[in-house]
Amino acid sequence: MSNESIRIRMTYAKLGNLRFIGHLDLQRLFERALRRTNLPLRYTQGFSPHMRINLASALPLGFVGQAEQMDFWLDQVIPLNEISSRLRTSLPAELILKDLQVIDNKQPSLQASLLSSEYEILLPADIDLQILKDRIGTLLAQDTLPVQRRKKTVDLKNLILDWQLLSVSPITILKISMKSSPLENGRPDEFLVLLGIDPADCLVTRTKLIFEEEE
Amino acid sequence: MQTINLHQLEKILYHVEKPGRYVGGEHNQILKDWDLVRTHVCLVFPDIYDIGQPNLGLAILYDILNQPPDILAERAFAPWHDLEAQLRENNIPLFSLESKHPLAQFDIIGLSLPYESLYTNALNVLDLAGIPLLASERGSEHPLIIAGGQACFNPEPMADFIDAFVIGEGEEVTLEFIHAFEALKQSGADRKALLQSLSTIPGVYVPSLYDVSYAQDDTITEVTPSNASVPAFVTKRIVSELPTHPTRLIVPNIETVHDRLSIEIMRGCTRGCRFCHAGIVSRPVRERPVSEILQIIEDGLAATGYEEIGLLSLSSSDHTQILELTKSVYEKFHDRKISVSLPSLRIASFSVALMDELRDIRPGGGFTLAPEAASPRMQAIINKPLDDAVFEETVRTIFEHGWLSLKLYYMIGLPGETMEDVQAILDAGKRVQAIGRQIRGNRVRIHLSVGNFIPKPHTPFQWYPLNSNDELQAKLDLLKTGLHRTGIKLSYNIPDNTLLEAWLSRGDRRLGQVIQRAWQLGAKFDAWGENDNMPLWRQAFTAIGVDSDFYAYRERGLEEILPWDHIHTGVTKAFLRRDLEWSKLGKTRRDCREQCYACGILDAFADKRPVSPLVYWGCP
Ligand code: SF4
Repeated sequence: MSNESIRIRMTYAKLGNLRFIGHLDLQRLFERALRRTNLPLRYTQGFSPHMRINLASALPLGFVGQAEQMDFWLDQVIPLNEISSRLRTSLPAELILKDLQVIDNKQPSLQASLLSSEYEILLPADIDLQILKDRIGTLLAQDTLPVQRRKKTVDLKNLILDWQLLSVSPITILKISMKSSPLENGRPDEFLVLLGIDPADCLVTRTKLIFEEEE
Repeated sequence: MQTINLHQLEKILYHVEKPGRYVGGEHNQILKDWDLVRTHVCLVFPDIYDIGQPNLGLAILYDILNQPPDILAERAFAPWHDLEAQLRENNIPLFSLESKHPLAQFDIIGLSLPYESLYTNALNVLDLAGIPLLASERGSEHPLIIAGGQACFNPEPMADFIDAFVIGEGEEVTLEFIHAFEALKQSGADRKALLQSLSTIPGVYVPSLYDVSYAQDDTITEVTPSNASVPAFVTKRIVSELPTHPTRLIVPNIETVHDRLSIEIMRGCTRGCRFCHAGIVSRPVRERPVSEILQIIEDGLAATGYEEIGLLSLSSSDHTQILELTKSVYEKFHDRKISVSLPSLRIASFSVALMDELRDIRPGGGFTLAPEAASPRMQAIINKPLDDAVFEETVRTIFEHGWLSLKLYYMIGLPGETMEDVQAILDAGKRVQAIGRQIRGNRVRIHLSVGNFIPKPHTPFQWYPLNSNDELQAKLDLLKTGLHRTGIKLSYNIPDNTLLEAWLSRGDRRLGQVIQRAWQLGAKFDAWGENDNMPLWRQAFTAIGVDSDFYAYRERGLEEILPWDHIHTGVTKAFLRRDLEWSKLGKTRRDCREQCYACGILDAFADKRPVSPLVYWGCP
C-alpha cells in the first residue's frame, strides 16, 4: 500500500485484573482488540504482515496505569468519534479509552521521546509518616543508590527526579517522578524495597507519561 | 456470599509466575451478579490455564450454562505449583476466575476429565477448595461434584470422588441435569435422594448407586444397581445434529496452547482404526454444513479478533464438502491477514490439494501425516491400510508443492508387532527422506514421532496387554540406532511414562484408593515429564496392596466383565469382539459410510437419527 498512513495516538487506563497482564501479552491483547474494531488497520508489508502498533512503555506487573499511551496506524481517515465508539466496545472492560488524537507521522516514536513517568504509590496503612520521611531523606542524601537488576547494577538515585509525601489519615501516598527512557528506566518498586516496604503491600499507579516537547 | 480476600490475593499474585492465569477479566468472559442467580456452577479444568482455557468443550458448556439468566457458570483451573504453595500458606481456598468466589460456595462443580493424567490434579483442586475428596464424605452443605469428558467413558477409577458422571456429549443433558437439580433442591431432597433421582436422567451415571463384586482372581463378577430404579447400564448421550457453535469465545489475556478460533467442523469418524478411543466413543459422524462454518468464522473473528482459525475434527479430509470449505475459506478470508490450520488430514494427494487451496493463509511450517503403522501386516491389524503407491505419491506431492518439512506419526507396541514391523517404520522414514531430497534437495526435514500404544477401553483392542517397558525399549533402540546420522529427527515417549495412562484408562474402582494415595504422596501434573511421579505411583500401589500389572500387562478374557461394560457407547461388545477377530485374521474394514458393519450405533440411537435429509449423518 503506497498511500499515507494515519497515525492515531490512544491514551488509556489499565486497571483491575489487567494489572497482572505483562507487556507482550498486552501487545497481543491490543492487536486482537483492534481487529475486533474492524477499522482499516495498517499492516507491515512482506510475507508475514504484522499490525503496526507501538506502545510507549512497559508497565510493570501489578501497576495500575491511568494515562498509558500507544500509537496505531490506519490506511484511511476515519473520524475520531467513530474510532472511539468502535474501540469502546472492543476493548476488555478493564482497559479504558481516555483519549484519541491524530499524530503527525514525522513525530518521533513514543518510546524515543519518553522522558519520565509519574507514579502515585498508596502505602500500607500502618506506615509511620515521620520515619518514612527520614528514611527517604537519608537514602537520597547518599551519593549513589545501587540496585541489582538481573546482571547489571543500576544507580536508582540518578533515576529519581522528584518526590513528595501526601498524607490524609489513614492514607499515605508517595508521589514520585522517575526517568523512563529506554536506557534509563526508573522502577518505583525498587525504591520501595530500599525503603524496606514490600511493593506487594502497596498499590502503584503510573499517573502520567512525560515526553520530550516538540520543537 | 463472600469472595476470597482480594487484597490478600493481589499480594500473593506478586510472587507467582504468570499471574494472568488466575485473574480472569478476559474479553467475552461472563460475569453475573452472584446474588441474583439461583444456581452457581463452576467449570473446572484441572490443568493449568494455559492448557485448559483453549478447550472447546469447556467453551461450549460455558456458553450453554450462561444463557439462562438464573444460572451462572464461572471457571477455575489447577494452579501451578507456585500459586498452590501461596494458597496453602495463606489459607486461601481455590477460587473462580470471574467473581473470585471460593469453589466450595458453588452449587455444582463440573470437572472436565478429558485424559487420565488429570485425576490427581482433580483431587488436588477439591482439596485446595476445602471440599472432602470422597463422595461418601460430602453432604448437602457441599457442592455436587460432577465430571464429564472423554476419560469418563471408563468412570470407575474416579468413582469414589465423583457424585455423578455425565457420559458422552454434554450439550443437551447439561441443562436437563441442572433443572432437575434445581427442582430437587427446592423440594428439600437430601444428597442421597438427589443422586437417586439424578441417576434416572439418561446419560447420568451415579457410581455410588452400583455395587461391584470381585472374584478370587480380582476380575469382576457382577456390577449391580443398588435398587430397582437405578438403570442397569448407562448409555452415552449424543445430539442428533451439531448444535449452534459458540462464537463469543473468551480471548485469553496470556499466551495459551492453540491460541486461536477453534471450530468443530465434524464430530465422529468412520475409518474404524482399531486402536482409536475417540473413533468409537464419538460415533456417529455428524457434519456441520459449509455455510454454517463460514458464518461461525465470520462471527467468531468479529467477536474475538483472533488471527488464526483451526478447523477441527478427527479426520478433516473426510468432511463431505471439505474441498468446497477450503475454497470458500480462502475466497472469503484470504485478505483478512489470518492463518488457517487444518489438522488431521488423511494420507492422500487430495489432502495436499486441500492445503493448497488455503495457499497463503496456511500457517508456515510443515505437513503432518499419521500412518501409525508402516508394514502392510501391521496396517491390516490396526485397520489403517495404506497403499504404498498412494503413500509415496502423497509424499511426493507434499514436497512438490513447496513443503520442506514432513512429520510422520507412528505407534510402537501394537498388538502382534514384531521387530520387522518396527524396522518398516525406519524404512518408511528413510524412503520419505529420499523422495524429499530428490525433489527439494538436502533442505528437507523429516520428523518421526513415535508413540507407545496403550490399549483403551471400548475399542477392539481393549483386551490386549500393554507391551512391557523392555519390549518398548528394544523397539525404540532399534529406531534410534537405525536413524543415527540419517538426519531424520525422532521423538518418542519414555516407556515408563505410558504406564500411568495404561493403568488408569482400564482401571476399576479399586484404583480410587491408589489415586488418592499417589496424590497424598505428592503426585500431580502427571502428564508433565519434568515431575517424575512414577516412584510415587508405585509406592501407592504397594501401600494399598493392589497389583499394578493386573491393569497394564494382563490379557483380559473375552468373556470377562470389564469395569466399563455398564457404560455403553452405542457400539456393542459383540461388534468389538468381532472386530478383534477380524484384526487377528488381518481383515480390514472399509470406511463404514460405504458399508455399515452394524456396530450398534444405529440401534442405540435410532430415535436420534434426524429425519431431515439435510442433516448429515455418516451412517448410510
Ligand atoms: S452404525 Fe454402521 S455406519 Fe454407523 S458408525 Fe456404526 S458401522 Fe459405521
